[in-house]
Amino acid sequence: MSARGLRRASPLANAFLLLAEVGAALAWPRLVFSAATLSVIAALARASGIPLRGLVPGRRFVVVFALVLFVAQALSVRSGAVLVSEPFRVTTLGILSGAEMGLRFLLILAASALFVRTTDPDRLADGLVRLRVPYRYAYLVVLALRFVPFFEDELRAVRDAQRMRGLEVSVRGLRRALQTARLTFVPVIVSALHRVDTIAISMKGRCFGLHARRTSSREDARSAWSIVPVAVGLALVAGAVVGRIWGGSG
Amino acid sequence: MPSSDALDVTFRHLTVSYPDRAADALCDVSEHVRAGEAVAVAGPSGCGKTTLCLALAGFVPGMIPARASGSIALGDAEVLGAPPEELATRVGLVQQDPDAQVCTLNVGQEVAFGPENLCLDPAEVRARVGRSLEAAGIAHLRERATTTLSGGEKQRLAIASILAMEPRVVVFDEPTASLDPLGIEQLMALLASWARRGERTLIVVEHRIDALSRLAPRLVLLDRGRLVDRYPARERLDYAALGLRGAWTAARRDATPGADLLALRRVSFDYGTPLIDSLSLSLRGGEVVALLGPNGGGKTTLLRLMAGLIAPHSGSVERDPATRVGLVFQHPHHQIFERTVRREMELGHPEPLSAIDGELAATRLGDLATAAPLSLSLGEQRRLTVATTLAQRPRVLLLDEPFTGQDRRNVVWMIDRLHDVASAGGAVAFVTHDISLAAALADRVVYVDRGTWHAGPADDAFAWLRATGRAAFAPEARP
Repeated sequence: MSARGLRRASPLANAFLLLAEVGAALAWPRLVFSAATLSVIAALARASGIPLRGLVPGRRFVVVFALVLFVAQALSVRSGAVLVSEPFRVTTLGILSGAEMGLRFLLILAASALFVRTTDPDRLADGLVRLRVPYRYAYLVVLALRFVPFFEDELRAVRDAQRMRGLEVSVRGLRRALQTARLTFVPVIVSALHRVDTIAISMKGRCFGLHARRTSSREDARSAWSIVPVAVGLALVAGAVVGRIWGGSG
Repeated sequence: MPSSDALDVTFRHLTVSYPDRAADALCDVSEHVRAGEAVAVAGPSGCGKTTLCLALAGFVPGMIPARASGSIALGDAEVLGAPPEELATRVGLVQQDPDAQVCTLNVGQEVAFGPENLCLDPAEVRARVGRSLEAAGIAHLRERATTTLSGGEKQRLAIASILAMEPRVVVFDEPTASLDPLGIEQLMALLASWARRGERTLIVVEHRIDALSRLAPRLVLLDRGRLVDRYPARERLDYAALGLRGAWTAARRDATPGADLLALRRVSFDYGTPLIDSLSLSLRGGEVVALLGPNGGGKTTLLRLMAGLIAPHSGSVERDPATRVGLVFQHPHHQIFERTVRREMELGHPEPLSAIDGELAATRLGDLATAAPLSLSLGEQRRLTVATTLAQRPRVLLLDEPFTGQDRRNVVWMIDRLHDVASAGGAVAFVTHDISLAAALADRVVYVDRGTWHAGPADDAFAWLRATGRAAFAPEARP
């Protein structure tokens, strides 16, 4: 299947879009603006052949966490017209602020997911090197993304092992939470350290770090599509600046 | 491939010790490997095989802290202590775990990684990628994502990545450990073709000596860090007498199957594409069942279904709630949680804790009760995880590739434990790629491959595998 949409754009253009989306959402966190930005992200995902559910990994956790943010923010804002006063004070501004907070969280997550799913990390590393970032650091991005599925698999295996052993893993209460963290993260970290050793040997054994520079055998990923994320990113930044000046800081 | 000529490798009085261990990992090892020769290095777990590989490729001493004396020469050049990146164009090391050594997310880019680090011209990099993929037999995978490859394909990718450095000596550390029988067959055919041409010097560390029969290398035997014996190429050896792991010929038990302890009724499970399709199977008391199939075929998923860790998408898994199920994971570190061996045994132990001393002694870990579990050898960790699982008194014991990376002594110990469970009326099911072990142990065999499955008495199942073009999963002759 040929690459579509942002998958054809330059990785640096996609990185710019991600920064613009997040920066704009933080600079002018109005509900309407966040919703519009989220719609743009959804449209770009669709154009890139990514299903909308692919923008929200770990859906149940994300929705619960967004709701927690909404509730916490709604209860913490005291100003505005009072909607409910007992047992908790809930105001119109609180609800609005909570919705903005929850939506911003979803927006940042969706923007990150869109970036990860449309950007080839190896090409991103090439792009960073062209920006004179030392390649040792640029390749950290590739390795970080390489390790994401590994951690998911390891965590699943450790949780399976805990279940088979009949170990009670719970986060209710500090002591139990600490015990659960120890029983979960110790095996995962040990496994990760083993992985790091193996990959370090693999990289050194292929001369990584021998020279100050390295070549890239890949063609430069320049396509007309690179204009799209740059243009959208600039529009979002401009929208946030205009909104902040004339529409209030929210 | 326009690779340079193969190189002689000469070890002279090589001694290596690690700071945290009293005994030397290698002790006064001297050996000469001729240019273009294929040599296998064998010996029990912890005998120094991997240290020999790491020292030859420049990782010990240096990147891995160790003291080393003696000499390693490549041709006329002394290389002991030289950094690995300076040796990489002369010696290539293919590590045991093919998945863990992949650095990038695309096959072509992974093979290009080394030549790019050498600052070669992009056209030369692309040419080397093409040649290396061709030599490893995976040219058709060039544009694939590395995450979508099977275990065998990843092993070939690791080989292609090393070949792209055009080394004159290639070292393999247990290359068959992650491969299914077909993958082993293909890998050995590849190595045998290299050996015939003598283009590269090959050094292969391996537990499963029988898997090397097609390559027919000269054999060097290590034990507790010392080189204790040498055997010429193609010599017929009694591996059991040498304490090595050859083809298994142990006699099967006479099993009298009892009642069903666990039953799968028309179970289906998929990850987008079918993995288990309408599979029906019972595990009966007193019975040992081998689960066979290619990498990624669904064996581990089947074990997880049996253990109740995942629910089938259709069909049912039935067992009496009182029937305990134990699962020994493929990688011991996934089920090790505590700081000492004894505390690990105590964790979740259902019996009076006084039983633990006896269990540790039976596991040959009594002297290591205060040791950190993760400091143990792979064989000791495997025995510990089997012991902690057996401490739960499972009626159904499931094991995921329990014999991988294990020497003969550990395999014999584990076979005894499997027989203990079956003899006490329990059921045992184990995943393995070691067909000779499956043939020696299993009363019944289940073969799974992405939706295709077959289950039956061992002899019938092996006959079916041969008749359906899957002979790599059947033994050559019934022991």
